[in-house]
Amino acid sequence: MSDVQAQTPQPTEPQHKLTKKERHSAILRYMFMGVNNFNYETQQGPSVVWSFSKVLRKIYPNDDDYVASLDNHFKYFNTTTAMAGMILGATLAMEEHDGIKSKDAVQALKTSLMGPFAGVGDTIIWILLPTIMGSIAGYMALQGNPLGAIIWLFVDMLLFWARIKLFDIGYDSGVKLVTTMANQLSAFTEAASVMGITVVGTLIATVVKVYTPLQFQFGKVKLAMQTGVLDKIMPALLPALVAWMVYKLLGSKKWTPNRVIVLILVIALVGSFFGILGVQPAK
Amino acid sequence: MPYILQDILIIILASYATIDNQGITIMNYWPVTVGLFAGLIMGDLPTAMTIAGTFQLMSLGVAGLGGASVPDYGLATIVGVYLSARTGAGLGTAVAVGLPVGLLTIQLDVLIKIANNFIAHRAQAYAHAKEFNKMRLVNWIGPLFFALKNFIPMILIVTVGPSAISALLKVIPAWLTNGLTIAGSMLPVVGIGMLMHYMPLKKYIWVLMIGFVMSAYLNVPILGVAIIGLALAIYTYQNLINASKKNAVATANGADATDTDEEGDDYDE
Repeated sequence: MSDVQAQTPQPTEPQHKLTKKERHSAILRYMFMGVNNFNYETQQGPSVVWSFSKVLRKIYPNDDDYVASLDNHFKYFNTTTAMAGMILGATLAMEEHDGIKSKDAVQALKTSLMGPFAGVGDTIIWILLPTIMGSIAGYMALQGNPLGAIIWLFVDMLLFWARIKLFDIGYDSGVKLVTTMANQLSAFTEAASVMGITVVGTLIATVVKVYTPLQFQFGKVKLAMQTGVLDKIMPALLPALVAWMVYKLLGSKKWTPNRVIVLILVIALVGSFFGILGVQPAK
Repeated sequence: MPYILQDILIIILASYATIDNQGITIMNYWPVTVGLFAGLIMGDLPTAMTIAGTFQLMSLGVAGLGGASVPDYGLATIVGVYLSARTGAGLGTAVAVGLPVGLLTIQLDVLIKIANNFIAHRAQAYAHAKEFNKMRLVNWIGPLFFALKNFIPMILIVTVGPSAISALLKVIPAWLTNGLTIAGSMLPVVGIGMLMHYMPLKKYIWVLMIGFVMSAYLNVPILGVAIIGLALAIYTYQNLINASKKNAVATANGADATDTDEEGDDYDE
């Protein structure tokens, strides 16, 4: 593939075939479709085709080139949808600039970047944001307070803007920035994971609640298992043990998350029936 | 608001929420955000938020990464909020009915993703036949399926739910509702367990300990812990970047760095 090397486009004087409005309609279409036509074989491939079919038509007035480009995009693609715009922006610029001969370079860029982009995107969009926002908004909501949820809606609006912005950045700066960024992404992902793990440590102690109402009677002295024994050893001892157990279970292939959920339901019901487990009294 | 209007709006909310979540995400599918809208529709925001908050904490960390199917806590919230407003059932019952609906509905998810495979091939066939409008049109079936995934259970809940729940409430024993409440407060552990598998826990177990001690012993609020986490993250990032710079200098003396984008197919996956 010697022609790939010649692709690295330096848009010295950009002769845009697409207006900004057309480009934004493409990314908005992608943001709407996202994984709504996700399939197990090519994952987001059809979504990319559906979203970019109109702008690609404008780039390729010739039917054969158009079909060749569509076929190229029908191939497997999957990354965090919030981050994908940057990759797709860069490939769109390549196709606009070099036409169908950029086909292989476009595919190479998509396949080599979707992994690193998913790494950082999933960590931020699916782990950090929902755990931090979720526990803040969740606790507010428990008191009947919708403020956390409203703040979350504002965060969503911010993300909406950011996703279009990322697409623009990918389109304007092209392949070069996106590939150099990919090298820093792994460090970024790992750093974000560190923040995530800190929050997870907190969640074990605060969100998971396992409480036993058991009491021991030594002659006249009553000793509550929870406050008298367990809490003296370590606060949040039972939640930590349960978390460790679930972590181990999920590590084995047989235990899917849904099965673990059912297991916990059973444990809670049995524990409640025999009075081993109870509802934690409010402090 | 008349009952019938509420029923229609709540069904629309459920159907739309899943499409929103998988695409444009302006409302999103988190229990608190859909719970907010469900509460506004049903006209009892505080109760709705309590139910939503319970599901939100339960769902922490449960993310459908890499196409994994996870319980549908968003739908669970809508079901819970609706039934509690209609029957006056408490939090325990809302959780008890909402959660199974969320667990069952997600099984449809797998079916839809398999069905979408046929649609993808259909679309590509249309592309080859140069019927580009049909190629675009056929892709609407995906979102339609996903909307139906929530539409169908919601129709059932709205039509037979309230009376069935009211009948059930009369016979349900105390240990059962208690047990469900206990389960509700234990269930966040599943999401947390999943998170621990997604992240490089073995390497950073010390960070987990810091987070745990911060709240178990020191009672630092979550935002405070998050800031400490951010500080640790910045420190880690700088370390990693410095290390990679050193490596780059070391390798530059020997061989040339090799990661230009030529032959970049299939490096990962």
